Amino acid sequence: MRSFNFKIKKFRFALVLLMMSIVAVASVSCDMKKSETGLSKIHTIDDLEGATIGVQLGTTGDIFVSDYEEKGSVVERFTKAADAVQALKLGKIDCIVIDRAPANAFVGNNPELSILEEDFAVEEYAICISKEKTELKNQINESISVLKENGTLESIISNYIGDDTKGKFPYVSPENVDRSNGTLRVATNATFEPYEYMEGGEIVGIDIDIARAICDILGMNLKIEDIEFDSIISAVQSGKSDIGLSGMTVTQDRLKSIDFTQSYTTATQVVIVNTGSSNEKLSFKDKFHNNFIVDSRWKNITNGLLVTLQISFFAVLIGVVLGFVIAIMRSTCDKTGKYKILNLILKAYLTIIRGTPTMVQLLIIYYVIFASTDINKVLVAVIAFGLNSSAYIAEIVRGGIMAVDEGQFEAGRSLGFNYNQTMWYFILPQAFRTVLPSLCNEFIVLIKETSISGYIGIMDLTRGGDYIRSRTYEAFMPLVAVALVYLILVVVLTWLVSKLEKRLKNDGK
Amino acid sequence: MENKDVIIQVKGLKKTFGDLEVLKNITTDIKRGEVVVILGPSGCGKSTFLRCLNLLETPTEGSIVFDDVDLTDPTTNINEQREKMMMVFQHFNLFPHLTILENLTIAPRKLKKVSNEQADKKALELLSRVGLQDKAKCYPNQLSGGQKQRVAICRALAMEPEVILFDEPTSALDPEMVGEVLEVMKQLAGSGITMICVTHEMGFAREVASRVMFFDNGVIAEDDTPEEVFSNPKHQRLKEFLSKIV
Repeated sequence: MRSFNFKIKKFRFALVLLMMSIVAVASVSCDMKKSETGLSKIHTIDDLEGATIGVQLGTTGDIFVSDYEEKGSVVERFTKAADAVQALKLGKIDCIVIDRAPANAFVGNNPELSILEEDFAVEEYAICISKEKTELKNQINESISVLKENGTLESIISNYIGDDTKGKFPYVSPENVDRSNGTLRVATNATFEPYEYMEGGEIVGIDIDIARAICDILGMNLKIEDIEFDSIISAVQSGKSDIGLSGMTVTQDRLKSIDFTQSYTTATQVVIVNTGSSNEKLSFKDKFHNNFIVDSRWKNITNGLLVTLQISFFAVLIGVVLGFVIAIMRSTCDKTGKYKILNLILKAYLTIIRGTPTMVQLLIIYYVIFASTDINKVLVAVIAFGLNSSAYIAEIVRGGIMAVDEGQFEAGRSLGFNYNQTMWYFILPQAFRTVLPSLCNEFIVLIKETSISGYIGIMDLTRGGDYIRSRTYEAFMPLVAVALVYLILVVVLTWLVSKLEKRLKNDGK
Repeated sequence: MENKDVIIQVKGLKKTFGDLEVLKNITTDIKRGEVVVILGPSGCGKSTFLRCLNLLETPTEGSIVFDDVDLTDPTTNINEQREKMMMVFQHFNLFPHLTILENLTIAPRKLKKVSNEQADKKALELLSRVGLQDKAKCYPNQLSGGQKQRVAICRALAMEPEVILFDEPTSALDPEMVGEVLEVMKQLAGSGITMICVTHEMGFAREVASRVMFFDNGVIAEDDTPEEVFSNPKHQRLKEFLSKIV
C-alpha cells in the first residue's frame, strides 16, 4: 500500500513538472515571436506583391488574393479569420485581406493592428442555396425585398456597424408569428464578426438577424448550424442545410455548384496590417481572466470536454464490440478455412477503414451517407469514430487470439465445449489480457482523434478552445488549456487501464 | 477378458495431410476397460490416430464408432461425445487464467450443469487423490510440470468419462517428475476406465497395459498382449525399435 501511494505521489510530481515545463517553454517562445514583429512593410495595395498575405479559406478575399500568387506573393489560408489575426500579430504574415466589417471588429480589439485606407475590393453579399430549391429561393428573394423596403435590413446592419448606431436597433421578432411552415436550416461559420460570431455562448450577428427576419416573414423556425466556412457550400449542396448565410460573395466558381439569392448588403474587402503600436502587455493574471473568466469562457472548455467524453465513450463501446466480433469472425475463418467470402468482405472493410484518413471518413459519413437525414451530429461522430476504431481493435484482438496457444483451443474442444464456448471461456479471456496494452493505446489515439469533430460543427473540447481564441485573439492560453485537459484525460485513462491490467494479472506470475 | 463389449470400433481409418498419407487403412476394436498402450517410432502416425479418435483431426476416410455412435457421421454432435472421451495432452494445456479448482470445475459446471458446490467437492476429492488438494487456489504457472499433468488428469476425470486418451503424457516432463504422473495413471488403470496411451514408457506398458499396439508407417504392425510384444516380437521393425529403446 505504501509503495502504491509513493508511486502516485511520484507520478503526480512528474505530471506537475511536465505541465510547468510546457508552460515555461510556450511563454518563452511566445515572447520571442512578439519581439520580432515591427512596423508593417505594407503601406499601399501595391505592396501586396511579394508579401505573405493571410486570408480565410474559401472567402472572397481568398479568391481575389489568389491572383497575387502569380506575382510572387505567398497566400496563407486559415480556416478561421481569428487564426489569421493571431498569425498577423505574431509576425507570421504581413497582412490580411478581409471584409470591412469583421476587419473593424478585429482592429477594435487589437490596437496594434490597423486597416489600410485604400480599399482592396468591393463586393456584394448574398445567401447561397441549392440549385434545386427554386421555390425557396424565390421566397427568400421576396423576403429580402420586403426587408429592404421597410428598412429592417438597414436597421439590422446599423445595429452592428457604426459607432453611433451600434446596439441601438436590436432586431425583435414580431409577436405571434405562425411558424407552421417547417424549419429553415442555416449553415454559417460564427467567426466572422459582426456578420456571425459567438457572444455569451450564442451565435449572433447581422446574418443571424437577417435569417431570423426571413423566418419571421416565411413563418418558419430557424435552426443555425455552425460549421467550417469551407464546408458551407457542400452542406447546402448535400441538403444538410437549406441555405448558407455567412457573408458570402457571389463568384463564378461558386455559381457552378450553387445558386445565390439577391444581394442583401455590400461589403468592402480591406487590408489589415500590423503597425505594432501600443501593445501594452497584459499580465498573466489579466490574460487568464480575459480567456477564461470573462463571459464565462471556461464553459467552452468544460462543455467541450463533456462532448469529447461522450463521443469517445460511445465510440469506444462501438469499436470494442464491433472489433471483437470482426476479430472472432476473422480468426474463425483463418482457423477453419471456412466462410471465405465473409473473410474477404471483412478484409475489404478493414482495408478501407484503415486506408483512409479518419477525417475524410467523418466527412463522408456526415455529408454523403447521412446527407438527407437530419441526424444528431454527435451521433454521426460516434458512428464514424466507432467504425474507425473497430477496424484497428479488430486487428489488435485478432493478433491476440492468434497468439493464444493452439493447445488451449484443443483442450477446450476435447472437454466437450463447442467452438463458441471455447472462444468465450478460454481464448478471449487470454487474448484480452495480451492485447490490453495495445487496446489502451488505441483508446488514447481515439480520444485525441475526436478533436477533428469540429469539422462537422461539433463543439468538442478542441473547438471550445478555438472559440475562446476567436474571441480573445490569443493562442497561448486556450491552446495550452485544451492540451492540458487532453493530457489529463489520457493520463487518467492510462492509470485506470494499468490498474485493470494488474487485476487481470493475478495468476501468480 | 474376452466377453467385454467393444467401446470404440475403428474401420478403414485413413488420414492424409496434403500428399502425406499418415494413417493407412486402420481397423481395430477397443474394448471397455482395456488399457491400450500405443508404441512406435516418431512420425508413425500414433498421435494422429489418437487425435482422430476424438476428432481433433478429421479422418480423411473410414469410420469411428464410439459407444454405438458413428463419430464420423456429420450429423453426430461431436461435443456431446467428447464429454465421454477426455484427452490428456503432452503439454498439459491447462487454462492459465483459471485456478486449479476452476480448471477442474468449468467443464462439469458449464456442460453438465453440475452445481458449483458439487463440482467443487468432486474436484477437491480428485485433487486429494493425486495429493494436490492444497493447490486448489493456485494458478497453473505456480505448479511444476508433474503437478500440472496430474491436474490435467484430474480435469479429465472430473467429467467422469468412459475413455481417456493420453497423448505422450510424460514426454514434456523432467525425468524426476515422470514417476509421479505414471503412478497416477497406474492407479487409474485399476479402476476399470478405458485408457489409450501413446507413450515411450516401456515400464508402464509392460506393467500396466492390457494390450500393446505397435504402429509403423501408418499401420498397426503388431497388436498383442505386452508379454508377447516385449518377449516375443514378431515384426522386424518392432525388434529394431525395442532394441533402441530398452
